[in-house]
Amino acid sequence: MTIPPSGAAKPPRAVVYRRHPRLDQAKRTWYFFRRNTLALVGLGILAGIGIIAAYSATLPLPWTSIPVYCATDYGPGDTQTGYPGPYVPVASCPLTVCTYETTPPPNANEYCKGAWYKTPVVVYTNSSNTSYISYAGALGPTLTLSPFSVGPMPLGGLTTDLGAETPLYNVAGALARGSDWSLMLSLSIVGFGAMTGLFVGAIAGFYGGIIDDVLMRLVDVFLSIPVILFVIVMVTALGQLIPVHGTSGAYLKLLLLIAGFVIIWWPFYARLVRGQVLVVREQKYVEAARASGASKGRTLLRHIIPNSMYPIFIQFSLDVGTIPLLIGALVFLGFGPEMFPAVPFPEWGAITALSVEDLTVDMLGSCYNGPCIICWWQLLFPGLALFFFGISVNLLSDGIRDALDPRLRR
Amino acid sequence: MTSAQSPPNYSSRRFRPSGGHRTREASRVRRPAPTTSAAPSASSSERPAPAYTPRKDVVLDVQDLKTYFFTYDGVLRALEGINLQARAGETTGVVGETGCGKSVTAFSIARLIGDPGRVMSGRIYLNGANLLWGLEREARFKKIPGTGRVKVMRSFRRIRSANERMAAVRGRGVSMIFQEPGQAMNPVFSIADQLGEALLLHSGVEVVEGLLRADALARGSGGGFSSTEFVPEAPEDPDHPGQVEVVPSGPLTDIDRMLQAAASGSQTDLRAATDVVAKEAGLASLSPELFYMLRDAGAQALQRRERVLRVLRRRQLTGMQQSSIRHQRRLILLQRALNDLYLKEMKLGKSQLAARSRIAFRMRIERMRHFYFGLWGIKRVAQRPIKNELFWRTVVLLEGVRIANPVQVARGYPHELSGGMLQRAMIAMALSCEPALLLADEPTTALDVTIQAQILELMRQLRDRVGTAIVLITHDLGVVAEVCNRVNVMYAGLIIESGPVHELFRRPLHPYTQGLLASIPRFDQPDKELASIPGSVPNLIHPPPGCRFHPRCPYAMPICKEVRPLPQLEGEDHMVACHLYTAPAATPPETAPAPSAPLPTAPA
Amino acid sequence: MLTYVIRRLLLIIPVLIGVVTITFILFASLPISEQLLADIGPPGKGAPCGYNPSCTCSVLDPNSVNHVKDTCKCIDPPTVTTPQGICRNPAYYADIHKLGLDRPLPEQWATFVYHAFVFQWGYVSNYSSIASAEQTIAGKPVATVLTWFLPYTIELALLSLAFILVIAIPLGNAAAVNRNRPIDQIARVMSFSGFAIPAFLLGSLLVTGVVLLLLPHTGISVRTPWCPGGEALDHEFTYSWPSNSACYSNLVFPYSYPLWMKTGIQTSPTGFPTVDAVLHGQYWLALDSVIRMLLPALVIAYGTVAGLLRFVRNSMLEVMNLDYIRTARAKGLPEKVVTSKHAGRNSLNVTITVLGLTFAGFIGGFPVVEEVFHINGVGETIALAVVQPLDYGIIFGSTILFTFLIVAANIIVDVLYAYLDPRVRLG
Repeated sequence: MTIPPSGAAKPPRAVVYRRHPRLDQAKRTWYFFRRNTLALVGLGILAGIGIIAAYSATLPLPWTSIPVYCATDYGPGDTQTGYPGPYVPVASCPLTVCTYETTPPPNANEYCKGAWYKTPVVVYTNSSNTSYISYAGALGPTLTLSPFSVGPMPLGGLTTDLGAETPLYNVAGALARGSDWSLMLSLSIVGFGAMTGLFVGAIAGFYGGIIDDVLMRLVDVFLSIPVILFVIVMVTALGQLIPVHGTSGAYLKLLLLIAGFVIIWWPFYARLVRGQVLVVREQKYVEAARASGASKGRTLLRHIIPNSMYPIFIQFSLDVGTIPLLIGALVFLGFGPEMFPAVPFPEWGAITALSVEDLTVDMLGSCYNGPCIICWWQLLFPGLALFFFGISVNLLSDGIRDALDPRLRR
Repeated sequence: MTSAQSPPNYSSRRFRPSGGHRTREASRVRRPAPTTSAAPSASSSERPAPAYTPRKDVVLDVQDLKTYFFTYDGVLRALEGINLQARAGETTGVVGETGCGKSVTAFSIARLIGDPGRVMSGRIYLNGANLLWGLEREARFKKIPGTGRVKVMRSFRRIRSANERMAAVRGRGVSMIFQEPGQAMNPVFSIADQLGEALLLHSGVEVVEGLLRADALARGSGGGFSSTEFVPEAPEDPDHPGQVEVVPSGPLTDIDRMLQAAASGSQTDLRAATDVVAKEAGLASLSPELFYMLRDAGAQALQRRERVLRVLRRRQLTGMQQSSIRHQRRLILLQRALNDLYLKEMKLGKSQLAARSRIAFRMRIERMRHFYFGLWGIKRVAQRPIKNELFWRTVVLLEGVRIANPVQVARGYPHELSGGMLQRAMIAMALSCEPALLLADEPTTALDVTIQAQILELMRQLRDRVGTAIVLITHDLGVVAEVCNRVNVMYAGLIIESGPVHELFRRPLHPYTQGLLASIPRFDQPDKELASIPGSVPNLIHPPPGCRFHPRCPYAMPICKEVRPLPQLEGEDHMVACHLYTAPAATPPETAPAPSAPLPTAPA
Repeated sequence: MLTYVIRRLLLIIPVLIGVVTITFILFASLPISEQLLADIGPPGKGAPCGYNPSCTCSVLDPNSVNHVKDTCKCIDPPTVTTPQGICRNPAYYADIHKLGLDRPLPEQWATFVYHAFVFQWGYVSNYSSIASAEQTIAGKPVATVLTWFLPYTIELALLSLAFILVIAIPLGNAAAVNRNRPIDQIARVMSFSGFAIPAFLLGSLLVTGVVLLLLPHTGISVRTPWCPGGEALDHEFTYSWPSNSACYSNLVFPYSYPLWMKTGIQTSPTGFPTVDAVLHGQYWLALDSVIRMLLPALVIAYGTVAGLLRFVRNSMLEVMNLDYIRTARAKGLPEKVVTSKHAGRNSLNVTITVLGLTFAGFIGGFPVVEEVFHINGVGETIALAVVQPLDYGIIFGSTILFTFLIVAANIIVDVLYAYLDPRVRLG
């Protein structure tokens, strides 16, 4: 039996089609992400919020417009409906607040009913043509009607003049609409900030030298300005320049707000990306790419930037949760009507801030003169919404970081 | 001891490694007793483990070491049953390609394998102490069906106590040098700090007792320093009434002689003179301090008398420092007793928990006393003599490893030194505690050839002086030929050949070794093509069945694909694991191989 | 080391100029009347009324008394439509010219930067809401007013920093060393919830919670050791938890320290309330001042620790995998020493850097917390100044002040980093 010459005694090699290495890496990352229960929980919550946000616009949630059945010849304390009060005098019912149904429904009891997204409200006009709005179920969650109608939550106080202030709405409906706002604002702010930061950081890190120095000084400048102050100052100062009033002016102011946040936010990303680019720049594959003829731009775009993006994902997911908190802080400082003058804004942070103000004021007023009546639901549900939003993005970012981290040995 | 129980259901979710008194009776599972050295374990290698008879000069005896890494891609079998011996005063080499498991061997011996790896089984005897005692109880394994992965469930407490046990051994028993000297030292502490740490840990008692003795000498007899210039002009210490700052008197001899030697410029004379002064002062570390202080002074050395006296006086301790140093001495002695207990545990294979907890209790009390003592900010001031002493001992160590300006180096930081100097400092650190075993994990791979030669020479001299056993891991056969007494050749997690260095180079038996030696380029055969072993290192997650080398072996036989060859003894001390050398009864006669080419002669 | 410090100091000058430039851009986009109000303050006696944004009368009345809102009958806008035609208000233009507001922009920028660096940040306007709330600061220079409030903020900041360091660093180290064990889960929960609960919510909840616990339904009178008389309180009490100590008699803002210890807002002699209380020998007062700041410091610390804890944990995880930790273990050092001394020192570097980076957010959270807990510091001043009508002098001045503080903190962090890590000292 002859011995085959050396090298031929290899096992037969099946033909193997190998997948793209990035695909394998993605599969691996997803595997590690999947094993992390908390991260999945975060992802689930965020997905739920996203679904609500997506559908909130299409659902008939007329939180800005409450079908008010204006009834005539019913005065306050009218026994027909049996509602004992309180009543709030309203100077007028501006069209942006509520719409009138001019034909009264046949059955007076219909007035007090609502659907799960509608707040039951009745407007009375007495003979002297003063209109009163009564809140059905003003002082507690109206569990009898439906579990979602947790009572009216005016963005003002319980005792404020309705016509002069912002509208009534249902907490659930407002939260649903607010998810839209929170997600949109956060994603746009952080998205633009991340893109700008990525761009600037990559250029600074890659080219180095004087460009690096100048850009990093610029980054230092913006990093030294506190966020809230800058946004306040910017929206006030530059907002005066906007001549347009009304809705389009309001949207412009919103854009200004986003721009203000983005201006403060991009330096974080620039610094992160620059650090990572400095490391990636020294790797061998970059050198290999340059040696095989890739231009500087091409190496930057195809090799350096994809490999430096990993800290951005983590920071991105963290920041998305922080933006509603900052907006809430701004509104809490009394800055709300400045930022959102005419456009209705059930943004979560804003709702929480205003209800916090209401709470303390009301509590003091009400706790002092009698039994403590606190509309706890005004605070709890928006606070919970913020809490879950924040927690879900944090869990998600932790999960992403654990899954992507090359230093955790697997 | 225990009757045969059905093995516990490792896959059950309720199964936990049982922990002491907290396990409820219902869920307590009886496990077989931990494998003692005498009883064979069923899960170990194919060969039955012999009863352990420690040989006289064998420092390290590794039997059947298995280390696996549990990764996303599967179980990586890094070491599959390693057997290794290292004798005192000898250098044992471990050679192999990249990825064959050499470094893993060293880390397994020192038990520095972390997540996701795990030393699975085996016995490592270091002077009779089984370092892997208690290994089986530290983790449980669960196969994940459908994939090749295994989930490891580690018991944190058991692993922590295993680390504590190993901390007793490391440094004094086993010491290690690593591959990248630039990364191996902490960048925020100076070299003296780090080497001093090691010194304090292992020879702390000598340091401390030396200080106390020097102080006693200086205060008590008055005969410590012989110089008439020591006039007791110093006033009474106002804080400690009755204690005069002792300035002993005697005939003018040593200090002046030392100064004259410095002025003359002869370094050997100065060295000898400072040694004399230091001996009289009772402190060995005084010598380098005085030497380096006076060496560059030149002609002005004769005016340095005041400074010399100050240095001598600095060795006297205040009362505060004395009590702090006594505290520390007590702590060091207690720690040493604890370490000895750990060693005894590993030797006997029995847990000495009662004695350990007694010592731990006393240590806690001492630490509390030391803590409250130090709360008044005294600690830093009181530590200065120790720090000083350790600094100069570090200088001595650095001198021992032939570093040119040891004082500067000792004061400096790791990033200020080049790779060669750092590696010398690392060697100094590793050998400062005079370990029984030194593991050198590719110490010269990151350095260039000239430095490599110096480092190897250094290691050889230190080995001869101190008598440690060195296990040198490298991929460079030249280094092996130069330094080692015995060579082990590793391939894909197994030791395939082992023997004295001359024997191995003269008569390599395993085809892999032959291939390695044949692939060394030779000057005297310029026309010959450079031979190489075809193929590449196997994937250790899915290693080839049977002999792991068979896909690349020119002498592969059908049996090599199925059965793993066991190590066989060829000659008095030459071990090889290859089917070519198995006893004739194991192989059927018709498949007896006829080599297609004569065995190449190794270069002499 | 010294050269490093000097280089760092030189490098911040462009940063400071850049920040002031940004502030200038925003300032220059304000309407001129607001700029005048902020820059020149109230016009002097006898001068025509000036710059009252809510004064919309249209008759030029030379006899009216200045800077009193109700009697102001002067005209603000630069032009007057009189029956004779459109006239220009001379005083208005004189002031504009005096302040240099009609010069080209680069020149305005230069003067702005110069004034920013010499701490001339304008004046508190008379007509803003904060000036109505607290009469003593109306018309004063902004820098002076801010120095009255700054010590409170600094004390709160120091206390918060102490809490942050004491909580975040040991907890982060422990969480990294014991991965996935209970202490790690606790640290995770803290970091998540700190991010998810805004400071104003947490603060308000704590205030209301504590008040609900402590507050019976009818009149309260509190006796404190340093004020045995104890006044009957009204609802202002609830704003200043947990006690209303220090015997304030009038609910004027600020109300927290006895009048014999202070003049106006600032306490004497140093201006730092706790220190002054100790210097006056009033130890209970000092203790009260610290207790007053405990809860807001905790709220601030909670928010900052959330972000910091993550970084401490990550840097510790990273450090624990490095080679020199392996060397330290191989030397035979006990695990506790390896963790605390070797790993802890190295992860401190990253921690200090991140602390410097989060300082901006730390400072930015002060307005909200100070408003909720009514600590009369710079943050509360800002919070009151942004209520309509805004006080731009205070807003811009405090922006510049906070920015200077952040830059100073970054320098301190850099110097500390160089001290801790000898590799940085080379350059």
